[in-house]
Amino acid sequence: MFFFKQSKKKKQMAKNQKKQNQNQIQSQNQQQQAFLSTDLDQNLQELQNIYKNCMDVVFRQFQIGGKTKAALIYIDGLANIEEIDAGVLTPLMKENHAKENTDQFIHVNDILEQKLTVSKVKRVQTTTECIEQISGGNPVLLIDQQSEGFALGLSNPEKRSIEEPGGESVVRGPREGFTESLGTNLSLLRRKIRSPQLKAKSIKIGEYTQTEVVISYIEGIAEQTLIQEVEARLNRIKLDGILETSYIEELIEDNPYSPFPQILNTERPDVVAASLLEGRVAILQDGTPFVLVVPVSFYSLLQSSEDYYERSLISTATRWLRYAFLLVSLLLPSLYVAILTFHQEMLPTTLLVTIAASREQIPFPALVEALLMEIVFEALREAGLRLPRQAGAAVSIVGALVIGQAAIQAGLASAPLIMVVALTGIASFTIPRYTAGIALRMLRFPMIFLAGTLGLLGIMLGLLMIVTHMATLRSFGVPYLSPMAPMQGREIKDVLMRAPWWKFNTRPRLTGDHKNIQRQGPNQKPGPDYGDDKTSKDQGGS
Amino acid sequence: MGILQRVAKILLVCVNLILLSGCWDRKEVNDLALIVGLGIDQKKDGKIMITVELIAPKAAGGGQMLGGGGGDGGGGGGGKIVRSGTGTTVADAISNLQEKLPRRVFWGHTKVIVFGERAARAGIRQHLDFLSRNPQARLRSNVLVSKGTAKSVLELIPPIEQSSSEVLRELSESQLLLRVTIKDALQMLSGDTGAAALPMVKILPREKGAKELQTIAFTQRTAIFKKDKMIGDIDDKLTRGVLWLRNEIKRANITVSLKGEKGNITATMIRAHTEFVPKYEKGKWKMIVKATTEDDIILNGTKLDLLNPKYAKMVEKELENQMNKRIRDALKKVQKEMKADIFGFAEIFHQKYPREWNRVKNRWEEIFPTVEVVVKTKAYVRRPGIDTAPQGLPEQEVKK
Amino acid sequence: MIEKGKISAAQMGMMMYPTIIATAILLVPAITARHAKQDMWLSPLWASLIGFLTVYITVRLHELYPEKTIIEYSEDILGKFLGKVIGLIFLFYYLYANGIIIREYGEFVVGNFLFYTPLVVVMGSMVLACSFAVRNGVEVIGRLAQMIVPIVIILIVINIILLIPDMEVANMFPIMEKGIMPSLKGSIIPQGWFSEFLLIAFLLPYVADRNKGKRWGMISVAAVMLTLSLVNIAVLFVLGGITDRFTYPAFSAVRYISIADFLEHIEAIVMALWVAGIFMKVAVFYYALVLGTAQWMNLEDYRPIIFPMGFLILLFAVWSAPSLMELTHYLGSTSPFYRISIQVGIPLLLLFVAKWRKRANNQKLTQQG
Repeated sequence: MFFFKQSKKKKQMAKNQKKQNQNQIQSQNQQQQAFLSTDLDQNLQELQNIYKNCMDVVFRQFQIGGKTKAALIYIDGLANIEEIDAGVLTPLMKENHAKENTDQFIHVNDILEQKLTVSKVKRVQTTTECIEQISGGNPVLLIDQQSEGFALGLSNPEKRSIEEPGGESVVRGPREGFTESLGTNLSLLRRKIRSPQLKAKSIKIGEYTQTEVVISYIEGIAEQTLIQEVEARLNRIKLDGILETSYIEELIEDNPYSPFPQILNTERPDVVAASLLEGRVAILQDGTPFVLVVPVSFYSLLQSSEDYYERSLISTATRWLRYAFLLVSLLLPSLYVAILTFHQEMLPTTLLVTIAASREQIPFPALVEALLMEIVFEALREAGLRLPRQAGAAVSIVGALVIGQAAIQAGLASAPLIMVVALTGIASFTIPRYTAGIALRMLRFPMIFLAGTLGLLGIMLGLLMIVTHMATLRSFGVPYLSPMAPMQGREIKDVLMRAPWWKFNTRPRLTGDHKNIQRQGPNQKPGPDYGDDKTSKDQGGS
Repeated sequence: MGILQRVAKILLVCVNLILLSGCWDRKEVNDLALIVGLGIDQKKDGKIMITVELIAPKAAGGGQMLGGGGGDGGGGGGGKIVRSGTGTTVADAISNLQEKLPRRVFWGHTKVIVFGERAARAGIRQHLDFLSRNPQARLRSNVLVSKGTAKSVLELIPPIEQSSSEVLRELSESQLLLRVTIKDALQMLSGDTGAAALPMVKILPREKGAKELQTIAFTQRTAIFKKDKMIGDIDDKLTRGVLWLRNEIKRANITVSLKGEKGNITATMIRAHTEFVPKYEKGKWKMIVKATTEDDIILNGTKLDLLNPKYAKMVEKELENQMNKRIRDALKKVQKEMKADIFGFAEIFHQKYPREWNRVKNRWEEIFPTVEVVVKTKAYVRRPGIDTAPQGLPEQEVKK
Repeated sequence: MIEKGKISAAQMGMMMYPTIIATAILLVPAITARHAKQDMWLSPLWASLIGFLTVYITVRLHELYPEKTIIEYSEDILGKFLGKVIGLIFLFYYLYANGIIIREYGEFVVGNFLFYTPLVVVMGSMVLACSFAVRNGVEVIGRLAQMIVPIVIILIVINIILLIPDMEVANMFPIMEKGIMPSLKGSIIPQGWFSEFLLIAFLLPYVADRNKGKRWGMISVAAVMLTLSLVNIAVLFVLGGITDRFTYPAFSAVRYISIADFLEHIEAIVMALWVAGIFMKVAVFYYALVLGTAQWMNLEDYRPIIFPMGFLILLFAVWSAPSLMELTHYLGSTSPFYRISIQVGIPLLLLFVAKWRKRANNQKLTQQG
């Protein structure tokens, strides 16, 4: 019954949405009708009406060559004033005293070709375009008697320099991260993939924020169906504004109720570039360094970019360590509860006696004890993230006291449990993707409950439910647990191990018909016996 | 709405689970009496008395963590407690015992089952059935018989190990003498042979100056069972012979003296193996026992230079004789006198001559003592330790 | 079609493996040992013949009616009324079998681990967990199989390796002491389990690579046979003559594992992982039942009847037997005949009728032509 209701509700919601969409589209159309007139004053009047009470918008009126009226509109702080002075105002205002006697008309093309020492100029015909450009930071030059203006590419937004991303640091690998500027981010990508096949399609999202969002992919590698799906889902979004790619993520993911992230977010250009080369699609947004990558599988969330930079054997070992600690972070507290309250025979006698001795003065059952300390640990972690840096030291001291000797002495927790909590904490941070780590950390609480109810059986039932849920998930059509389930023989070498690069002959199968699968030439394995005979001989000779 | 409802439902389920589960199988580790050893005695009136040895976890003093504040030096370990209960069956006696224990009896860590001699003579099958049927108890627990009561063995306070059960387990696992788990005992009792052997323990007389009870019990003899009743026991020398015949010998030292030489030579066994070749000829059962061993010399009290292969051969010969004698002694006692097939000959015959054996299956007890056993032994001395000539002897006295 | 998902033939094979193994390694070794004694490891070999036969019949029927499950094509073969009757027999059988499986699981858990937990809670939680898997259709069950089966196989192999120190090869002899009969007798019970391969009749229509269906079915039977044989051998080596004295010999053998005084008493972990196997088994049976019922009643969707069916399964589990003794007695005596007659007998009948009809049709056509 429960499930029927829901589907009905969904239908209703969809209807409402449609209506809203129609309204919005109508209002937009009306605005776009307004073309610029040939009268400068009228244009200025209109713009000033629009920018009423916007003290940061500057309307600079001047005369070209002392004759023709013109105006420059820009937003203070977004436009590069020095450039405006040197490249626009100076040449235009000092314009042709020599040609005083020629006709009054100034040819727009002349100005463009002869006077403006600005590289990026775009003609604008409507008020909406004007507003778009001005809001984007580009000064707009309007000239009397002209029905079009010039948007000058002189925007100069505040930029952060390119730094190493704090959330995804590596020992070996590029140390650059995305910034808040979309242009910079695209340029970082373009620097890695120089092929013109790297495409970047732009759309604007957000009624008020008018945020620029870019879909990037490599044509010929990414499946056309996938690109269309991404575009369709992005075009569906009608929102007042988006400030972070997480807004987009929540609006386009396949299963909104799942705790598991179905879209990868990263700050690293190399991760995005690698994903693009595998045929995935990246979604970049102006104003945030976090880039979304779709589709992903659960296993790709457990892979760090460094896996591909370290030697393959070592990376394989690291991966297995990560898988093991993934289970630890999910299961250790519940195992503690299950073993101590249901399966006491599993521990060696001496260990059990020691644990029993340390629990002798604890008033709580193991279940409550574990829950309590795990919650305290989560609180500490959160506090550590939010507090100003100066207070960080204080938190760590308090934390050590709370989860540590003081708790033991106060008779609130036993020493083995402290070990368990600490290990769980460490384990959850071995997962390279923060979002995936959080999901597992949260899931361990219901697991503790299940362990306290049915012991190991409860844990297993919980695990089965989680795996069932993960098996139902899809990320843009790709099963979440692939390539393990459904099993894809070729790709398993990137999950159970990290095969050496000369083994990755094919791209992962994501969606569509998967035509362009070869990613490298045959016989890439190094060594005299394996390489292409001819080339190796030639090289040997020279 | 949808998600709120869902969350509410899940919460409801969780809360219910916790509240409901309070009285099911959850048992805090601090509510358990961890039993490490179980002793079963039979009283004169036929009632069963059980004795359990349990480990009581002592609270680790909080001060200990701070490093010095605590006065209790016991650490996180525990002390041992011995309690008894009586009843008509073991299970009955346990419920009697439970009345005297504030914590719930927990069998998951029981390592040793000790039968008092009287209980062993009365029959152990029903006790083993209880232990095998109980899902908590372990098939791997070691089964022993004690000289005297089981209680007197479990009561002891061992100087080294934490509990006397632990002592007995370590001794059993060292495999110097027989080692039998519940599973082995059940297999022997329900097998073709109709006989069983269990290790038997005896209390070590306590050292001078040691407190009362401060000693251990050690495995020294072997109790022989027919069906499930004990009929007698043999000493450690004979037990080694039995081990040869069961192909279970793992470690042993054999000391021999050579003819015409003063002093002894001791060899330690590295590897040993016994092979059985059953024969059935003209209604006669015959068993050829081939025992082989590989030894190292660990002591040379003679003047012989053992690097000389001639002397090594002599030692080998003497070792073979010794082994032969041990095996024969064991055979004489167990096969001829006690008439208990604890060697598993019945199974060996059964496997080789199933049809013939099935005919005499019911008369096996009569046939077993008449089985002709041929003992063939072979010893190999592999190396004389890390010395060559006898140490501490002038050069001229060494016999090359 | 009600089910829109597609699975691969390999997934189908993997789904069937735990479906047979999960309960077979619990009770069957004891029942087999009672009849076959030291030849118990031979019994699965004989019993697997029934498995191969079942797969063969099912695949042949599937080739005749490639888009349909057995519930649907029995109507085509026998006509509307008789077909519905046969369908009803199958559905009742699967409802009952599902109840028995859940009961076996519940008895095992309650008898070995959670002594005081109500049976209904243990069984109900499993039905609930399975209903989530069933709700998501055959695709998800197939994927779950691919996640779980490798773990189950690794678990079995590891346990057997850990038991090697305690094995006594002599327990196996004398081989065929009383001829071939005891092992054949011992194989009757496992035959009931092998006949469960009929379940692929519900999965084959959704297999994407149809031509491989037969191959993977056969591979699955062979894998089950090998596993059962290996488990029986391991149990026999460890427990020897007393194998049949235990209700769950394989489990008792696992309890005996002890490596270096540390790695012991691991049966709770084994139980937990075994639960994953039983989960697969119940999910597949449950799915077949729900799908078949929906098709039998001509419903558009099988999801609405999942929870009612789950409740029924739970009821059948409670009703199926008053005690473990009755349950094992039923499984060890009457069940194989009942199971084989329904799961092999009826399909065989269907196949003959279908062949005969086809021939009659062809003759008619040729006569007309």
